[in-house]
Amino acid sequence: MEEKKQCKGCGGALPFVVGFVAAVIAGWVLFPGVLYSKQNQPIRFSHKVHQEQGMECASCHSFREDGSYAGLPNNEKCMECHADVVGSDPDELKYVEQYAKTGKEVPWLIYQSQPDNVLFSHKAHESFECKSCHLEVEKTDTPPVYYENRLSGYSKQTMKMWQCERCHAENGVSNACHVCHK
Amino acid sequence: MKAKEFNIKWGMVIDLDKCTGCGACMTACQVENNIAPMVDSSNKLRTLSWMLVFEMSNKKPCPDAEIAYLPRPCMQCGNPACVPVCPVVATDKNEEGGIVSQIYPRCIGCRYCMAACPYHARYFNWEDPIFPKGMEKALSPSTSTRPRGVVEKCNFCHTRLQNAKDKVRMEGGNPEALPDGAYMPACSEVCPTGAITFGDLKNPEHKVHELAKSENAFRLLEKLGLAPQVYYMSKREWVRKLGDNYAATGKPGAEKKHS
Amino acid sequence: MGLDRRGFVKFVVGGVAGTLFTPVIWQSLDDVSIWSQNWPWIPRLNKGEVKSTAALSKLCPAGCAVKVKTLGGLPYAAIGNTANPMSKGGVCPVCAGGAQLMYSPARVASPMKKVGEGKFEAIKWEDAEAMLVEKLTAVKGQEGKLAVISGDETGSANDVFSAFAAGMGSTGFYMMPGEMLTATKGVKLMGGNGQPGFDIAGADFVLMIGADALDSWGATVANQKAFAATRPTGGAATAQFVYAGPVLNNTASVSDKWVAVTPTGASAFALGLANLLIAAGAVSSAPDFADYKALAAKFTPEAVEAAAGVKAEVLKDLAAKLKAAKAPLVIAGASFGQGAGAVDFCAAASLNVLLGRVNVTGGMTVLPTAPKALAAAIGRESALDAGSFLSAVATGKATPAVLMVYEANPAFALPQAGEMAKSLGNIAFKVSFSTYMDETAAMADLILPAPHPYERFDDAMNPYGVAKPTYLAGKPVVKKPVADCKDPVDVLLAAAGKLGVSLGFETYADVIKAKASAVGADLDTLTAGGAWTSDGKGGNLSLGAAALAKVAPAAADPKTLAVAPVTRQAFGSGSLATPPANLLIVREDELTGKDLVVRMNAATAKAAGVTQGAKVKLTAGSGELKARISVNEGVAAGTVAVPMGFGRSAWDEFTKGKGDNVYKILTVSDEAGTGLKVWAGSTVTVAKG
Repeated sequence: MEEKKQCKGCGGALPFVVGFVAAVIAGWVLFPGVLYSKQNQPIRFSHKVHQEQGMECASCHSFREDGSYAGLPNNEKCMECHADVVGSDPDELKYVEQYAKTGKEVPWLIYQSQPDNVLFSHKAHESFECKSCHLEVEKTDTPPVYYENRLSGYSKQTMKMWQCERCHAENGVSNACHVCHK
Repeated sequence: MKAKEFNIKWGMVIDLDKCTGCGACMTACQVENNIAPMVDSSNKLRTLSWMLVFEMSNKKPCPDAEIAYLPRPCMQCGNPACVPVCPVVATDKNEEGGIVSQIYPRCIGCRYCMAACPYHARYFNWEDPIFPKGMEKALSPSTSTRPRGVVEKCNFCHTRLQNAKDKVRMEGGNPEALPDGAYMPACSEVCPTGAITFGDLKNPEHKVHELAKSENAFRLLEKLGLAPQVYYMSKREWVRKLGDNYAATGKPGAEKKHS
Repeated sequence: MGLDRRGFVKFVVGGVAGTLFTPVIWQSLDDVSIWSQNWPWIPRLNKGEVKSTAALSKLCPAGCAVKVKTLGGLPYAAIGNTANPMSKGGVCPVCAGGAQLMYSPARVASPMKKVGEGKFEAIKWEDAEAMLVEKLTAVKGQEGKLAVISGDETGSANDVFSAFAAGMGSTGFYMMPGEMLTATKGVKLMGGNGQPGFDIAGADFVLMIGADALDSWGATVANQKAFAATRPTGGAATAQFVYAGPVLNNTASVSDKWVAVTPTGASAFALGLANLLIAAGAVSSAPDFADYKALAAKFTPEAVEAAAGVKAEVLKDLAAKLKAAKAPLVIAGASFGQGAGAVDFCAAASLNVLLGRVNVTGGMTVLPTAPKALAAAIGRESALDAGSFLSAVATGKATPAVLMVYEANPAFALPQAGEMAKSLGNIAFKVSFSTYMDETAAMADLILPAPHPYERFDDAMNPYGVAKPTYLAGKPVVKKPVADCKDPVDVLLAAAGKLGVSLGFETYADVIKAKASAVGADLDTLTAGGAWTSDGKGGNLSLGAAALAKVAPAAADPKTLAVAPVTRQAFGSGSLATPPANLLIVREDELTGKDLVVRMNAATAKAAGVTQGAKVKLTAGSGELKARISVNEGVAAGTVAVPMGFGRSAWDEFTKGKGDNVYKILTVSDEAGTGLKVWAGSTVTVAKG
């Protein structure tokens, strides 16, 4: 009975505040962990090692003759060097055995992948630095973890429409629908 | 409402005296825009034909009968009837070039735009785009697939415009001043008789600029004032008259108004 | 510390309120809406590099030189090849959907063996090839026991198949009917040797008698390009085109004039023109001019009006235009690409001789005989027709034990289709080399799937109608075929090796290489999308008076209607049902639901007692066709226009059971003096049904 009384005494806003704070913590700290699944790249690709070999970004991430962007290199490109094992990294061995020799393309996880209804021209955005939209990976030895949204299936880093629109507006570029949609 | 003006106006001039009605434009359009084949394609209330070839007749008895074929893409009207009726701004005419856009994920399928369009250029997806097994490997990268429940229409193969701009950027040119022929929709490209001339109506260096002003050029239902960016031409008077929906009992179509 | 109900409620309310200040609800709502934009069952686009590769797309009869657009190596579209002198950047509607046809649901996925009526079992290639060799071994060296039917007019595969048949001791190599077969015989009647060509590009007045040259006849795209060149958009036309035929078809729609000629009246119409031209002073140095003149004199404008339904003033006007033209050209052909006789060809083609338009620019040419890849092959000029062969099978005059069918569909695309299919059934062992499950494959005992044009080597020698000797070749676009298929020629060559029939080649690619070198063409240039042409011309022609003497103005039976089958390239062909990407092109007045729509003009409909939309039965002999009526003024008097290529009983859900097959009501008769089978003059009775 006394406890009950005590409770009544300390009632007031406390349970509300506790609930509120708990929800805020859960929502900001725990929810993202639930919403996103973590995935690692199929091959632990080291940008750092490749840079140390004196390679430029454009050696692999290049424009094609028609102005389209090749994005990630395919086997053909990788195999220019890695048709056979050239180093001692176990992931290189994995690449050579599982992909280069079988002809299967590596299912890289694309951090910035956009859905089919979006048309993005890298050529039109060439004057921007890569890192203004992409993760800075050039010095990483292990690629960043890929977070996939369990609901939408998009990558956590996928740029949303409001971000595209804001930048277009700030730079005085048209925000007409077809500028970005297909 | 006053029509929006643009510095570039992509348009077509379709020479009906050259169109044999073979239908290659319809096929190329379907392929470019990922339209799934339908089991009952004779149900024209449900089929999706962004480009549709109509048969027109001079209505005279045999042997004086004549026919002509009229390919009908979206007219990309200067003053489109479909845009103001859209409650969610899923369709708009707001981009340089004057192509009327249609954003599928935004469309709620109310079909007001279909009711508004006098050219029947808009289509509603009654079914999901399910392709025969394996055929999805032959999807074109140019157009996203649309689910059941949204409206779609011809957009002059807009992705080709973007690709053409990228190519010109690559070559160091000006993407806002594409040379004649650098950008061409699939229908215009495939046509075996070259009946569909495509280009910037405002650019004197593009063939369509002069062709649209030819005395044999006309637009469909010009009297409605929607100012289509698609022109037709024919030396046959009966064909030109039909273009303005000339009714036998009414008056001939309105005076020609060319931009 | 305890918690009472009130405290708990406060806690929950606090929790809910707190949640509103977190991304839980807002982000979830956003993500769910995005999820709903990407239903998992809606196909996703593929990614990769877009490339285009030259290919020879032999999906239409003439074959289009195209560029296949690939995405990550897989074809998705076909565009024209502007560098190719034949198609000059144009594509026909069938070849425009070629990539989709690679994934057609009608494709035969693997070799199959018949295990019961309409039932097949997938087997391994080694078993299939062993079965083929076993059956062929049994008929080796026995004349008349092995027969081959080919539906490919232009490929070197014919050289291999016919040489193989010869090596097996059989003369049974037959071609599906088409213009090439009849016209080559027609040229013979005119004292020439070779296949005729028509230089549309160089003519200033083109009269097409029957030939649907701008949609489904000859090298269609090349014809269309030649036509288009004379009609600069916005400029003055530099040539006139006139179409004379029973139906106001696609060709007629863009011609300056359509002359409604009844299906049986083409020869009389042509000779009527000859008569007027001679009267206007036309003379020819051909040895049989005197006979020809006497013969033509019978075809007075009045006689032509009775036989062909063409008014005298129309005929006179046309004759005057032909005479006035600097470079007139008359194209002779059947209105649906087959079924007319060699004499009909002669009648129209003789106008070119009369006008002095043979082997000149803008005239009719005779192509020299093309070189063969194998010495034992049968040339085009001595090819036999599959229709006559199957008729002989029906009557027991021919008794083959093994039939090989290559790129042909005789069970569907021969006149009196019902009877033809029955007589096919009489052949003990039938092998179908086919890409698709067509009506013939569905009857076969062994199906050996053939690759799609993007998956194989192939070539095209002198597609019918070209004015100059022309040779095209193509190589595979994709690394691996979609189906478990093998090139029919490769299969045949392997079988020949096992049977001890020496053909001298191991693969079709080698055969094509040999052909190219025999022609004098650079194969690499050809497979990169080029074409080889030469200027070789054949000899002079006579007017064919001896053969034409047999033409008699036929009187129409008022109780029946003449059948005018209507071909459209987009419908496909005998060996290709309407492709998935062409279904939309079929109009409501051609197919409604499952009903075929046939057309006749108002006067004819009234006389036949039928009205718009009425269901009817068209009957000829034992053949019957069900359809609906569309009243349309684009059909000659006393004629019913029937779309061709519908009424499939095999293929896929898109075409099976749609409409009815006009071949069922086409009746065969013998052409006087040539021994050819003709069916262009078929008649039917119309009954409501």
